[in-house]
Amino acid sequence: MSIVQLQNIRKVYDTKVAVEDLSFTIEPGTMFGLLGPNGSGKTSSIRMMIGITVPDSGSVSLFDRPFTRSVLGRVGYLPEERGLYKKMNVLDQLTFLGQLHGLTASVASRRASLWCERLDIVEAIPKKTEDLSKGMQQKIQFIAALLHDPDLILMDEPFSGLDPVNAFLLMSTLVDLCSIGKAVIFSTHRMDQVEKFCNSIALIHRGHLILSGSMREIKSGYPRNRVLIYYEGDDAFLQHPSIEGLTRYNGHAEIRLRPSATLADDAQSLLAQAIRHARVTRFEVMEPTLEEIFIEKVQQTSPAKNGSKLSMAELDQPNGGGRDA
Amino acid sequence: MHNVWLIARREYVERIRTRGFLVTTVMIPLIMFGFIYGSAFVNSKSDSSVHIAVVSSDTQLALDLQSELQLRHGTPRANQTLFTVDAMDIGPDTRSILDQELDSGDLDGYLWITPAATPATSQPTRPTFTFTPSSSEQDYLRGTLASALGTVLMREQLAHRGIVASEANAMLQPVEIHAAHAPHRQDHESAVVSVTILFFLMYMVIMLYGMNVARSIIEEKTSRIFEILLATIRPQELMAGKILGVGSVGLTQVGIWLSAALLLSASSVTANLGGQGIHLSLTAAQIVFFFIYFTLGYAFYSSIAAALGAMTNSEQELQQLNLFLVLPLIACFVTLKSVLTNPDSTMARVLALIPPFTPLLMYLRVSLGHPSHLAIIASIALTSASIYAIVWVSSRIYRVGVLMYGKRPTLPELLRWLKYS
Repeated sequence: MSIVQLQNIRKVYDTKVAVEDLSFTIEPGTMFGLLGPNGSGKTSSIRMMIGITVPDSGSVSLFDRPFTRSVLGRVGYLPEERGLYKKMNVLDQLTFLGQLHGLTASVASRRASLWCERLDIVEAIPKKTEDLSKGMQQKIQFIAALLHDPDLILMDEPFSGLDPVNAFLLMSTLVDLCSIGKAVIFSTHRMDQVEKFCNSIALIHRGHLILSGSMREIKSGYPRNRVLIYYEGDDAFLQHPSIEGLTRYNGHAEIRLRPSATLADDAQSLLAQAIRHARVTRFEVMEPTLEEIFIEKVQQTSPAKNGSKLSMAELDQPNGGGRDA
Repeated sequence: MHNVWLIARREYVERIRTRGFLVTTVMIPLIMFGFIYGSAFVNSKSDSSVHIAVVSSDTQLALDLQSELQLRHGTPRANQTLFTVDAMDIGPDTRSILDQELDSGDLDGYLWITPAATPATSQPTRPTFTFTPSSSEQDYLRGTLASALGTVLMREQLAHRGIVASEANAMLQPVEIHAAHAPHRQDHESAVVSVTILFFLMYMVIMLYGMNVARSIIEEKTSRIFEILLATIRPQELMAGKILGVGSVGLTQVGIWLSAALLLSASSVTANLGGQGIHLSLTAAQIVFFFIYFTLGYAFYSSIAAALGAMTNSEQELQQLNLFLVLPLIACFVTLKSVLTNPDSTMARVLALIPPFTPLLMYLRVSLGHPSHLAIIASIALTSASIYAIVWVSSRIYRVGVLMYGKRPTLPELLRWLKYS
């Protein structure tokens, strides 16, 4: 069975095509990363999954059935733009949102207290939402999405603006939920988060799906031609013939090896060369990062954009607070 | 339906709990009563004493006028002017002194009596009287002075003809007409006052709470809580819940005010506070119809307000659009006087059937005039039908509008929203 199935959905706002011919399937127990730069159609796709907007064409199925509003009780949603009633106190607020998802008042308020304990914000319970810090408000919002024990959890940029400790706390909560069979979709433009936690991804760019599948499959499709080396001393070894391109930093370099049948041997010979000239403190051979794969894919689909200069920094600001259309 | 109830209850509970609700519930009647009795008090106390000077070469005439004014108007009665009169002879610089006193405010005016040129003829000619008030506000004194002078001169003539002073006084005793009300008319007057107060109340509360609906939608828009709410419930349910919730707060407030007013007017202490014997008198039918038309009016205007709120992103933008809300209400206000005086005129009958005006004007007609049953039923039916239409349009605008951030939609865009399903 699949939790979410999108088939050829398309959405056009006035003049802008937000999503075009998007299809993917999400199974239970999946941590699914929906990736793309700002404005690529992530939020639009998520909104269509839960009926906030309706696709112009194509179909959305949740829990193996064509979408109806009656399944919304099994869906938890954390929108990108946080929304809470500012003047309401936290417990009332969570209880109210739980009730909207079909819980009784007593169950909702009991669960709200339990979740606050779990996320370490018990002291916030009697306070008004507007008196809380941004991070705390985000945790409240997070709880609101999970209170009714949903089978499908949609998180739109869940960690933006959170400190690393709290981001990790929320992430591990999501991992726990995933391990008991919930499907978690989270959209982000932070490739590093996805690389760490997701087992399945979809990359979208300007409304088009440019890459999707399980993380392992995608990565195995690429050769291990990336070398990361930390060194002290002479860097003459960086002239090695197997190096196709490199980025030099203070004390370390990221190297892309020339494509060949003997990549593993090339890497070893590069290492041998390096040891002769310098003291090597770290040496790692790996697949391209998701970020690199993404950039490569984007360049393939839009070759007009001036080739090698394109970088993630141009596609978006990694920590930026911008939002999708 | 459950969701509508949840939304409405949240809206109600959160609003009732605010300090703002408590403050308006207590303050508005206080301000209203303060205004009514304050103005009555000021009216009764204002201009209670007047200081004038009478300048005449005929000292006897000046003194007679002085005693006439001071005695006749000397007994303090409600709304009666108390006179202080200085009688003086004409001196070389009298006028300039008096003018100075006028300027300094010591004097409210002076009467200059110029004797007739030739008093020797058989037909006695009257002197010329000139009154100089300190300001045009004191001009009303001329009437009082004229009647007092008339009396004085008449008494003089009578004395000339040998009539004893006491007899003359009896002849010149001013006629007094006592004010009395036919019992039915007095009730009617009370009803007019009570109904007018309710009219203002309805006007105010509909406007206030209509705007509250719009404001609360904008608030949810800016706090982006919509996304969460819309991920579980329909926009229509959200809008219905909001209108019901906010409206119930308005009804609660009006209910509190009305029961307090009825309790107060039932107790004897305040029954005659108005001084004119007018008290809050309402029949059960008037109260029932008040709630019926209040509900209709509120539903009508708050659905418009909901659409306005969904179309805008901030209070400033709402201010620009709230003309749509306020103008029809103000139109009712303008016609208030003519409908009050003649609730069964053709104009009143027609206006009361036009849905934006029905709630306020039909309520006046039902309370004070004699509309036919058919007219009442037609007014309710027409308004209900138009409310249905407005809710239909508003909920469509609402559904698309609440997710639109940024620029305000243009008219063609709005029309497209209506078609959008």
